[in-house]
Amino acid sequence: MEIGLGHYLAVAAVLFTIGVFGIFVNRKNVIILLMSVELILLSVNVNLVAFSAFLGDLAGQVFALFVLTVAAAEAAVGLAILVVYFRNRGDISVEGVNLMKG
Amino acid sequence: MTADMLSQDLSLLIPELLLAGGAMALLMLGVFMKGEGANKLVQWLAVVLLAGAGLASLFLVTGEGQAFDGGFIFDGLARFSKVAIGVVAAIALLLAMPYLKAEKLGKIEYSVLMTLAVTGMFMMVSANDLISMYMGIELQSLSLYVLAAFNRDSLRASEAGLKYFVLGALSSGLLLYGSSLVYGFAGATGFNEIAIAVQSGPSVGLTFGLVFVICGLAFKVSAAPFHMWTPDVYEGAPTPVTAFFATAPKMAAIVLLARVLIEPFGGMVEQWRDVIWIVAVLSMGIGAFGALTQTNIKRLMAYSSISNMGYALVAIASASQTGLWALLVYMILYMIGVIGSFGAILSMRTREGMVEQISDLAGIAQRNPGLGWSITALMFSIGGLPFMVGFFGKFFVVFAAVQEGMLILAVLAVLFSVVGAAYYLRVVKTVWFDEGEVEFVPAAVSVYWVTRLAGLATVLLLPVIGWLVFRAYSVGLATL
Amino acid sequence: MLATLAFWAFSGVAIASAFMVVIARNPVRSVLFLILAFFSAAGLFVLLGAEFLAMLLIVVYVGAVAVLFLFVVMMLDIDFAELKQGFLSYLPLGGAFALVLAALLAMTVATWQASDQAQSLRAAAMPDGMSNIEALGTVIYDQYVYFFQAAGLVLLVAMIGAIVLTLRHKDGVKRQSVTAQVGRDRKEAIEMLDIKPGQGIGE
Repeated sequence: MEIGLGHYLAVAAVLFTIGVFGIFVNRKNVIILLMSVELILLSVNVNLVAFSAFLGDLAGQVFALFVLTVAAAEAAVGLAILVVYFRNRGDISVEGVNLMKG
Repeated sequence: MTADMLSQDLSLLIPELLLAGGAMALLMLGVFMKGEGANKLVQWLAVVLLAGAGLASLFLVTGEGQAFDGGFIFDGLARFSKVAIGVVAAIALLLAMPYLKAEKLGKIEYSVLMTLAVTGMFMMVSANDLISMYMGIELQSLSLYVLAAFNRDSLRASEAGLKYFVLGALSSGLLLYGSSLVYGFAGATGFNEIAIAVQSGPSVGLTFGLVFVICGLAFKVSAAPFHMWTPDVYEGAPTPVTAFFATAPKMAAIVLLARVLIEPFGGMVEQWRDVIWIVAVLSMGIGAFGALTQTNIKRLMAYSSISNMGYALVAIASASQTGLWALLVYMILYMIGVIGSFGAILSMRTREGMVEQISDLAGIAQRNPGLGWSITALMFSIGGLPFMVGFFGKFFVVFAAVQEGMLILAVLAVLFSVVGAAYYLRVVKTVWFDEGEVEFVPAAVSVYWVTRLAGLATVLLLPVIGWLVFRAYSVGLATL
Repeated sequence: MLATLAFWAFSGVAIASAFMVVIARNPVRSVLFLILAFFSAAGLFVLLGAEFLAMLLIVVYVGAVAVLFLFVVMMLDIDFAELKQGFLSYLPLGGAFALVLAALLAMTVATWQASDQAQSLRAAAMPDGMSNIEALGTVIYDQYVYFFQAAGLVLLVAMIGAIVLTLRHKDGVKRQSVTAQVGRDRKEAIEMLDIKPGQGIGE
């Protein structure tokens, strides 16, 4: 069976769904939340590269390159904020807190 | 790309170049100069830089057009937004100075991050490509996440930063997934190309992509149902950061949303109008009803900004020239009201420190009439009570909706604004008629003047509004 | 044939390990599964002819981001069992939402149809006879230089942000002073003493 664009889009869609699912079920654990966001970005990259390959266009790969760059920056800032939060609070659960009501 | 083309492209980018280069220069200055004086100098230079970049887009950029193969656009919309964003960011930094000093947060990074955030906003309002849209949003958002957690020894601030970050990162993910689908459909990331591809008829994939993009952007403007982060972040972040959050980033994001919907996706008005309709009604409703039970004034401002974004979305939903014009007028009047209100909130400092309960304002008008009058004028204006400038902002928005035949939306907007008026009136009642003895220390000079001038502006700008109506009428925007 | 097999293998592993990331009990395992997911996705990129991005994914993601995650997980002393509470109570809602999303996306993918002008609208068509990295280099530093510069600013913000949030200056700590170290000359460093036999340095 020939592997076409649809196959790659399906893989990306499944990864995206898993990422969103991960955010839903791991609301307390910020580390896993951040990893779920990374999965979503990975699915976006699979989408972009697949489109780029099947259209014969480089813009998708350039876009994916910048998504990678920004995702790395985002992870750095996110983990820095997480570390600060941990120092103040002593654990990383977001929902148990309720200093501020949601 | 030849040198000629490059210099032509760069001439459109003068404000961004000023900001980016200035931010780096300020960072170097702050690193190599030591002491309290360095921080003060960097702050003042940053104020000049922000306002200067705003004015540079008014005076120094002579041409209009696109640069970098269509990745960047400088047009009337971008020019207007940049002036507004630059000036309001400078005012927000002025407001921040005394607070940062009092709370011992005076680090040069605050000014540098604010300058870089504004660079991101300038990129957002000038975005003409999915990639430049994303890069602008991220440059802005990353700076704002850090600013929200800037008071790193405070649990509330770091929690605000964390919440804002997690939800913001998720919204960027949604935006990107949508962008990737749009790219796959159109075969290009430029808005010009997407506009052509959209003409060839909508498809399921394109519609999905657009919905995801709208979700991501709705998050950035804190429109319902993506508003959950707003009250917590507004309450937890340091007050001057909240003042900044409520003004410049909102302007940038709403202008970006308007551009995305009207330029590349202008051919799909029928599809996106319903989505925006729902988001607008939900935002106005949740903002109006959510605010009724709040006791913390920063949370009140959060719900107020949710409902105000709802009105801005009404203007976008009308998808007309009048709508765009109403949107810009509305956003300016909103920002004047909000920055003044945050000036008033920053004046709420007792000998022990900042207070932020609405009850702390009880009877303040008797002890401090100037503050009392300013709060009254500002609340009336944001609430859209008749014959303050804010009323005309809402009026133009509703007018634009009626002009496009969206009567239900217009009626709902008026109804929610009546509900919303209740909580603004409650604040005014507390200020004038309640008994209280909380004594505030005299406000810093910048806070004092921003509050008073914004309060005055809500009345003194009325002739300008009159002139605008006359202009709009004469160019044919104002006919039903 | 080999490419087809490779596709199924890589995508299978990517999806399975992505799933393990979100359900694993221990965040350290989650990070390791995340690394596996990135590796398999890099394999998919190679199959699609994007070699440069595949290598970048491994170098940047596995080499930097995943290691950063691992570092933070290990550095923070977290009670993992407590964090897993509530997982089961969120499961039905999360599962239902995920199923709806999956169904919608399946519909999108199954009926995928690019615009008929997509081919003519391409902004950066892939040049012939150029390697992937060369082709990317020709557009990134020319057509897309604006985005490239913006990416630099984003990284600058990340750097400033991480430093301003986490760096603590402790007072009373001895630090290395490079200038003092380099500027030291023989006069301050050595003292010549004339020691008489049998007396030592002491008085």
